[in-house]
Amino acid sequence: MSDRLKIFLLLAPALTAIIVLFMGGLGIGLARSLNYMPVIGLVDPNFDAYWTVFTSQEFYLSFLLTFHISFTSTVLSSVLAIGAALLLRRQFIGRAIINFLFQLNLTVPHLVGAIGILYLFSQSGSFARLAAEWGMISRPGDFPALVFDPYAIGIILQYVWKEVPFIGVILLANMQALGEDYESVARSLGANRWQAFRHVLLPLIFPGLLSASVMVFAFTFGAYEIPAILGPNYPAALPVLAYRKYTDVDLEARPEAMAMAIIIALLSALMIFFYVRISRRNIRS
Amino acid sequence: MTHVSLKDLTKVYPGSKVPSLDRLSLEIPTGELTALLGPSGCGKTTTMKMIAGLLTPTSGDVTFDDRSILREKPEHRGVVMVFQNYLLFPYMSVADNIGFGLKMRKVDKAEIDRRVGEILDLVKLPDLGKRRPSELSGGQQQRVALARALIVQPKVLLLDEPLSNLDAHLRFEMRDLIRSLQQEMGITTIFVTHDQEEAVVLADKVALILEGRLCQYDQADVFYKRPANEAVARFFGGQNFIAGQSTGAAFDSPLGQLTLPQGAIAGKGTLTFRPENVKIGEGQSNSLNATLEDRIYLGTQTRLRLRVGDTMIEAIANPDEVGGFDVGGPVPIHLPPQTLWVLQ
Ligand SMILES: Nc1ncnc2c1ncn2[C@@H]1O[C@H](COP(=O)(O)OP(=O)(O)OP(=O)(O)O)[C@@H](O)[C@H]1O
Ligand SMILES: [Mg+2]
Repeated sequence: MSDRLKIFLLLAPALTAIIVLFMGGLGIGLARSLNYMPVIGLVDPNFDAYWTVFTSQEFYLSFLLTFHISFTSTVLSSVLAIGAALLLRRQFIGRAIINFLFQLNLTVPHLVGAIGILYLFSQSGSFARLAAEWGMISRPGDFPALVFDPYAIGIILQYVWKEVPFIGVILLANMQALGEDYESVARSLGANRWQAFRHVLLPLIFPGLLSASVMVFAFTFGAYEIPAILGPNYPAALPVLAYRKYTDVDLEARPEAMAMAIIIALLSALMIFFYVRISRRNIRS
Repeated sequence: MTHVSLKDLTKVYPGSKVPSLDRLSLEIPTGELTALLGPSGCGKTTTMKMIAGLLTPTSGDVTFDDRSILREKPEHRGVVMVFQNYLLFPYMSVADNIGFGLKMRKVDKAEIDRRVGEILDLVKLPDLGKRRPSELSGGQQQRVALARALIVQPKVLLLDEPLSNLDAHLRFEMRDLIRSLQQEMGITTIFVTHDQEEAVVLADKVALILEGRLCQYDQADVFYKRPANEAVARFFGGQNFIAGQSTGAAFDSPLGQLTLPQGAIAGKGTLTFRPENVKIGEGQSNSLNATLEDRIYLGTQTRLRLRVGDTMIEAIANPDEVGGFDVGGPVPIHLPPQTLWVLQ
């Protein structure tokens, strides 16, 4: 048996599951978004649902909000994760404990984190009441809107809290495997601290950073639960909007929901493509 | 042009009880090539990193031309260190690797290109500028690492085992290249190796470090003729050590009374002589009757294990000279007085 065939056969079960579940689901979604559903007699596919989506202002507002959430969360998490990894790779007393605490919230589900944020940061939450009690604001309602707010601060806070350790752990492993000698070489050749980071360490950890942050971007762009709990009502994040359409009493809205789901998938693929290209060009030149 | 001196340089790594380097003092004259010689783990890389500013000494000082540089950042010391495993930046082309130091100094692009081209010729790698380091052989990578260091015209060049990963042929070539570049540019160079032959061939002076301590710092031939102690002599291939009593002119030992060269120390001591200095046949003095216990033919030379009374002696001889002797039979030998050396 050739190696290729062997690899193919070994991968076959996983590939089958992926193709059936992923492509199958995508296929059905696509068909539905095109108003094609022979079971109930819809046999003439059309682009009506897409037309409706693209002509509604809410869709564009939702897209902007969702992009803002994903982009800001990804950039903030990446920057903070790099900082955290740089600190944690040093030798210091109590490092093991800090490292453990740092990774602890990887195990906390997103939903739990979101509810925590709701309790702490909403205008009727703990921080609002504390601030009012200490006289920093006259009543809890004056607390700045960090939840259900148009800038999605609560959502971004939640994502950053959750994704910094995720990216950080990957980068830390990466840095520990590299060791410090590459930077030492750079320093001895005349690079200052910043230059050694910018021109040597960053490009070296870049592949890991890129994959981790792409995952974060894709996840935050398509995730439903956090914006549903912490997000503003209008405009809602794209996945929330799609879900609303899907559960609308009007069955006519279903193809629209599907169209939106397909658009979300295409958009994330497209944005990730550009993200990878642009960052590759800038970091490693 | 920099005179480097190390003063009681000591490093204890955090979490370790014994010093990895213990009070090392060395004077390295301007423009000379000095070898730091010692077995694996003796603290050679540690020393280099402290000179380069990549590691902070626990105590002691490093001065360049009598000025302490410990407070200066690595990038301001004018020291470049070439690491044991090259560490070329994998995501850059060879030319970008070599130009790295100039780019950090904000030299303009055209100037960098020109100097990279020059130095590629100097290390005999023209035409390879566009390749990635992973597309080079070990010897080529080594030369790129060297070029990357030389291009910034360092005051002090530190080479950490530059030849250890090369095959015998390349090693020879690199050795000559390093020696000629170093002399041409007059850079004060410290060169790490665990190979005594390499140290002897390349260096003006050799510092032998054993277990974190300096054992001897001398010109290469002195290590063979007048080793400071038994460990030094053994490191340089010495095998014959015979305890006894010296009068200054003669040495009383189980081998009998042997005539010593002038200036030998008196008192209890250990007599040593190198295997290649054991001469076959009768001599004017120090003649002994030995028994041949074993013989190993090594191509250009033959190793002999000899016994005199109860004392074993290791010798190296020309194969033609000893072809006629049988194992178990007698062999006349002598030990020329000027090749004997008494250790305290
Ligand atoms: N970062 C470190 N932390 C603790 N101990 C270390 C560290 N680096 C080196 N050592 C110890 O210090 C001693 C000297 O190490 P060093 O790397 O200087 O040896 P070396 O002479 O360069 O050896 P080699 O010929 O194998 O390269 C060794 O015993 C080593 O275990
Ligand atoms: Mg070493």
